[in-house]
Amino acid sequence: MLYDLSRADVRVKWLVTCLLLTFGLAYGFGGWMVALYAGFSPKSVAATYASSEMSMPMPPESTVVVEHPMTMSQFAEVAPHQVDTALLVQDTHVHVPMYGLIAACLAVVVLGLRMSRRTGLALVSLLFAAPWLDFLGMWLTKFLAAGFAWLTILGGWAMAAGLMIVTVAALWQMWLMKERTAT
Amino acid sequence: MTTLLRAGLAAALLHITPTVVLVDRPDAVAQLLPGADKFFAREVHLSDADAHKLHEAVDWSPPDGVLTFYSGRRGAGGALVGVLEFVRVDTPHGPLEVTVAFDTTGAVRGVIVTKATVETKPWVQEALRAGLVTRYRGLKPSDSPAAAAALRGAVGELPLYMAREVDKGVARALAAYRLFYQTR
Repeated sequence: MLYDLSRADVRVKWLVTCLLLTFGLAYGFGGWMVALYAGFSPKSVAATYASSEMSMPMPPESTVVVEHPMTMSQFAEVAPHQVDTALLVQDTHVHVPMYGLIAACLAVVVLGLRMSRRTGLALVSLLFAAPWLDFLGMWLTKFLAAGFAWLTILGGWAMAAGLMIVTVAALWQMWLMKERTAT
Repeated sequence: MTTLLRAGLAAALLHITPTVVLVDRPDAVAQLLPGADKFFAREVHLSDADAHKLHEAVDWSPPDGVLTFYSGRRGAGGALVGVLEFVRVDTPHGPLEVTVAFDTTGAVRGVIVTKATVETKPWVQEALRAGLVTRYRGLKPSDSPAAAAALRGAVGELPLYMAREVDKGVARALAAYRLFYQTR
């Protein structure tokens, strides 16, 4: 352990508490937004990220025109929120560095927790692996197979799990663990 | 330290740009193709050469290489009322959807911004209040839309920026119509 949060100055404990609660709030709204725009099922995530190019991987040799009748109600059908390649490039560019900073902040908290070196390593790995899985799943879903949507769902839940584990452990060790057990 | 972290988090959150519907598609269709009671979707799957032609014209490739034109017809004879396109424009602040309708002569009958984002909605609305979309009426497919320029001085910088993005959407619709609807 590089430092001990359970013995830290109360101002440091308060800073870490505020940070974790703020992350929790942001993740809560993040989950809400995912529910609104991509969903939590592999099918809905695949509909968001998979290209319809998959059904027509190559452009036709000559332009093909297909016309079919449709009803007014079909205009009302809610098209799934789709993230195309350009938007995914932008999302990856914007979100991955921020996820890295959040993972780094949480990892710094982990370094101050009482836990075995192995557990600490595993937790730090989880914090960084989760966003990688999240975005890897999106890219693989887009370019390889819709089945990789599972990876994105796994990554999202892993991010939530990482935050939850760090938050519970930190709050417990900083504020609830008795001094005699802390020393 | 906390200020720095919160600022970082706020920056991350500010980049989350969920789409908001400004006008439902059926409402837009009813406004832009008045009286139509039959609808058809014409999907144009572009070859490499045609996709390149469109890209050269307006620096744009449609999603999945497919352009979709929706036509509205009326009555037993199926008289054409008009044709419309839903064009998506990706901006650094999230996507816009611009709906552009053509009358039977091929001129622009109307333009409606159907989707924006939480962040861009107020800017788009300010541009719309300043009369942005009325300036597209009557444009021919070979014209270049420049409605945003006419708003300079009447709106702020960000609404002006969004107006330019709407110009871009209209330009794409005009080029797509000119190259792949009128000629086929």
